[in-house]
Amino acid sequence: MKVKEVTFSYNQTVEQLKAVSLAVEEGKITTIIGPNGCGKSTLLELMSGHYTPKKGQILLDGKAIQQYSPKELAKRLAVVHQKNDVPFDINVERLVAYGRMPYKRFLHSPSEEDEKWIDWALSITNLQTKRKKKVEELSGGERQRVWIAMALAQKTPILFLDEPTTYLDLYYQFELLELIKKLNREYNMTIVMVLHDMNQAVRYSDWMIVMKNGQVIARGVPEDVITGERIEEIYGVKAIVDYREDSGVYVVPIGPCQRDE
Amino acid sequence: MKKKVWLSFTIVVVLLMAVVLFSMVSGSINISAVELFKGLLFGGHEEVEVIKNMRFPRIIVSLLAGANLAVSGLLLQAVMRNPLAEAGIIGISSGANFVALTMISFFPTLFFWMPLFAFFGGMLACFLVYSLSWKSGLQPLRLILVGVAVNAIFTALYESFDYRGYTTTSSVKATASALSQQTWDDVQILTIYGLIGFILSFCVYSWCNVLALQDKTARNLGIHVTRARVVISLIAVYLASVTTATVGVIAFVGLLIPHIGRLIVGSDYKILLPFSILSGALLMVTADTIGRVLLAPTELPASIIMALIGGPFLILLIRRSDRIYEG
Repeated sequence: MKVKEVTFSYNQTVEQLKAVSLAVEEGKITTIIGPNGCGKSTLLELMSGHYTPKKGQILLDGKAIQQYSPKELAKRLAVVHQKNDVPFDINVERLVAYGRMPYKRFLHSPSEEDEKWIDWALSITNLQTKRKKKVEELSGGERQRVWIAMALAQKTPILFLDEPTTYLDLYYQFELLELIKKLNREYNMTIVMVLHDMNQAVRYSDWMIVMKNGQVIARGVPEDVITGERIEEIYGVKAIVDYREDSGVYVVPIGPCQRDE
Repeated sequence: MKKKVWLSFTIVVVLLMAVVLFSMVSGSINISAVELFKGLLFGGHEEVEVIKNMRFPRIIVSLLAGANLAVSGLLLQAVMRNPLAEAGIIGISSGANFVALTMISFFPTLFFWMPLFAFFGGMLACFLVYSLSWKSGLQPLRLILVGVAVNAIFTALYESFDYRGYTTTSSVKATASALSQQTWDDVQILTIYGLIGFILSFCVYSWCNVLALQDKTARNLGIHVTRARVVISLIAVYLASVTTATVGVIAFVGLLIPHIGRLIVGSDYKILLPFSILSGALLMVTADTIGRVLLAPTELPASIIMALIGGPFLILLIRRSDRIYEG
């Protein structure tokens, strides 16, 4: 997937994205980081086809993303959003089955193929025992896994996740990231996610993209991208970046640095 | 879960048959069921003939009207993501009513096309509500407020028109908002239109289900969200307008039935749709029968009975089900 010189604005006055270019490498985990309002979520929305760029192009397999029908796109690319509305009485199985919508043919009932992929999505997210439970009654971590399972049932080569760990406690955050890693390593899915936690980004990404003010200001393997100076540049926060045998590169933010403006 | 659904369907169907039977034999002419069937089978019974020509069409029209309005409300709620959306509340029925009646009063010969004019009126109202409340997305509260305003405007327009005495006798029927004076012709029209509407709504039930998620999510699942919205709205407006053209404005069925349905059979439109058809028909025929029997030989319009049953019932439901109406 390629993003070429994309400029975008919600309201024609402020440009949320300014000539952003990047390439998503197949079979890798790419993480986008940056401060609030830097345009990372907007970029992800554009890449999932929700908006049309003002200038520039987003290409998927060499074809502009707008040229795909919604159905065709949904077979290639699945998205897990940060916040989701749940119908009050829906159970896990039925919600995950929605992931088969792109394959639904008019007036046809679900096929064995559909069942197979629903089962697969439920087992990989470890939800088989919960399949009859109401989504509403699940814990935050389980609920997030349900949405991932729905995306997986779409059986796409690419998966986008917008801040998947935000509302979870530490244990569930890691559980989720391990799941994402497994999807990438074992099932060769291309992952693009937006994360807030730099340590997690470093641990789980193959490639990182750093954004600020609607522009990409750095990209590369995590070890190269994450440095003390860069964190100061992006967030205005002093941080120690160090290396340990057991944890790899890690970041300890210390506090805000004096801003001279 | 499944058991509960089957049980609810059975109960509604049994009730429906019971009320219809009761409705057939009672009213200003009382007759026993045995006599009625004898008369129907062998003919020659004067009172039965009257019932056949007067009461039967009325019962069938009220069944269909109730079902149509319930489905219309159900679809509007799906598409507007709003529990208060209903043709009678957001101005679709009054828009349909107003346009249909003005057209008929100017061109009385076009009476046959009344449902079509009603449909235009309904579309106009629906379009106004959408376009005036759209502000980078549908915000439920704004939508309802705009809808209430649109409804007020069309109702006022209609009433001022009526007040000045422009409406001709041919339109009196629809203004009465009662179900009296229905003929077998009305039955025929409403049956055909209604069936088309039901079939169309069954074609879009999976869209309705997915629209309950966020628009973003629906789009990621390959739904063309705007197109789905337009198509579902068209079906809903069509059902409400056709019904309004035949029986006048009747509020509450479209609001009440979908909510009762969700509480009883859940949020899956595949089940909710047929359930709404049956229970909408049941509610309407019950309201009409009560209106007819209570003070016989005088009558109370079904819309009044509906509001009298519907109002308190809705309050009760909302108080008992915070879970659904949070957020």
